[in-house]
Amino acid sequence: MTSTHNGQAPEPAEAAPYLIPLNAVFDDDFLELLIPVMSNNTIAELAGAVAQHVEGVRVPARDAEKVVFFDGHPLPPDLTVAEAGIAPLGHVRVDYAS
Amino acid sequence: MTMLKREDWQDLARDVEWDYSYVDDEAVYPDWQSGTGKVPRQAWAKWEESYKVTYPEYVSNQHGKETSAYAVKAAMQRSKAFENLDEGWKSSTKMHFGGVTLVEFMGQIGELRMARFGLNGGWRNMAVFGALDESRHTQITMITGHEFVARDPQYDWTQKAFHTNDWAAIALRALFDGMIAAPNVVDLAIQLPLMFETGFTNLQFVALAADALGAGDINFANMISSIQTDEARHAQQGGPTLEILMEHDPVRAQWVVDKYFWLSARAFSALTGPGMDYYAPVGERKQSYREFMEEWIIDQFGRTLRDYGLKKPWYWDDFMASLDVWHHSLHLGFWFWRPTVWWKPVAGVGKAERAWLQEKYPNWETIYGPKWDTIIANINSGQIEKTLPATLPWLCNTCHLPNCNPTFGRDGRWRVRNWPLTYNGVTYHFCSKVCRQIWWEDRDGLNNPTVVERFLAGEIQPMDVPGILAWMGITPDVAGDDGHQYAWAAEYLPAQPAAVAGA
Repeated sequence: MTSTHNGQAPEPAEAAPYLIPLNAVFDDDFLELLIPVMSNNTIAELAGAVAQHVEGVRVPARDAEKVVFFDGHPLPPDLTVAEAGIAPLGHVRVDYAS
Repeated sequence: MTMLKREDWQDLARDVEWDYSYVDDEAVYPDWQSGTGKVPRQAWAKWEESYKVTYPEYVSNQHGKETSAYAVKAAMQRSKAFENLDEGWKSSTKMHFGGVTLVEFMGQIGELRMARFGLNGGWRNMAVFGALDESRHTQITMITGHEFVARDPQYDWTQKAFHTNDWAAIALRALFDGMIAAPNVVDLAIQLPLMFETGFTNLQFVALAADALGAGDINFANMISSIQTDEARHAQQGGPTLEILMEHDPVRAQWVVDKYFWLSARAFSALTGPGMDYYAPVGERKQSYREFMEEWIIDQFGRTLRDYGLKKPWYWDDFMASLDVWHHSLHLGFWFWRPTVWWKPVAGVGKAERAWLQEKYPNWETIYGPKWDTIIANINSGQIEKTLPATLPWLCNTCHLPNCNPTFGRDGRWRVRNWPLTYNGVTYHFCSKVCRQIWWEDRDGLNNPTVVERFLAGEIQPMDVPGILAWMGITPDVAGDDGHQYAWAAEYLPAQPAAVAGA
């Protein structure tokens, strides 16, 4: 049996996607934002959802990969939000990889 | 008939008390309202105000102030002064009118609570004068702001702001519910007259009066100077209350002071900081917000607190560091989320302004420069839509202001840090560890839901930016926009090559 990033039981694959509102900050932006994502969004999609409000808006855009940090650890981009164990009202940080 | 001299009768009259024959003292002054706590009831007998006033003196003084204030106002109404004011200054006054007018009315309620439940007759008398003061302040601020409604509908928020769900109004209501409406009157006397009025209103009333004169707004300077003369008198209710509380329960006294120093500082960094360091024309600025805080709050008020035997608040280093960050972030937030406010934030980041900011705040360019440069590039490339919000900022569960306080960390970067707390299965996020600590201590007391929580609970429909603005009471005619219609960004455009002669 696979486990989530947090070692918790994964969501059943057939569970209907549900909304997960997150507290998120992007790179060196000056504030935290409310970012809604779906449980079946990938971590890469989550990074994009946060970045669209900040990258090239208040933080200069860079040609670099984005990494999502949750509980202080980087998450694989192809994991889903649910698989990563990110719950509603959780906090994520999105950083450039380099 | 010969009148007695004041000194012949005032000592007898100013603190009249009597024993109740038909009811217990506890029934008249219940602890949840009067708040004596660990302080013996008889200890309040020595409560004494330092500046005494009688009712005839009060009426005579106030009549003089009113006559003079309204005479200046009438004279200024006939002038063209308003038309010549810069939008930056006008927006400072719109913030003040919307943010302060009905707080003055809440102040009246607080004074009336002390007039009823204060534990000494002298205190209750002082509070009656305080209530009359606050009534006057509500009226003069309301009439001054409303005078401009016909010329600019944003001034209508003088009366309206506090009655709406605008996020800034919710932040103010949360602050003053905790400071004025909810506490017992011992805590109230320290929180409102001492911490807020003695400690901080100087910021708004003295600094803003100087800026008003610099901007040519004599009417506004006249109004707030007239108000400030009352504050100096009724604010003294805090001192004797704190003195007695320190003697019998210093831990409680220190906590109340620490809490409301922090919360007042948060509020004023939003209300006063942007006006001083961004909205006032750079040539007219007398002091930076930080310099003013250092002189008026840290030096003067800090000395006052030491005189009472209080220690520096436990978070002092965080507070000092905040003076370089809080109001700059809030200004950027006001500007970026400008459709959600009832004034027109000016950016205040032209080249000359940035040189001034960098001189006063040596980390300003590092923290804020790249963000404003990105915004400027978007303005100058015609992408105004990229300078407007598409989601909500996360709001702190204690101060209700955005979580926008970058700190310098061991990673060598100025970054926003996350301050979460999970309690009863719900995760809260705070702007700072101090706001988190305050929330934890007060968790069973008054806690207003933030706009984010109301949004997630489905109170705001439809769940998009127009839905949020409508819920906040913002209509298109009052929604804020850039105070100078983005003209300031043009100086950042690349210089055009000179035309070649004969070409």
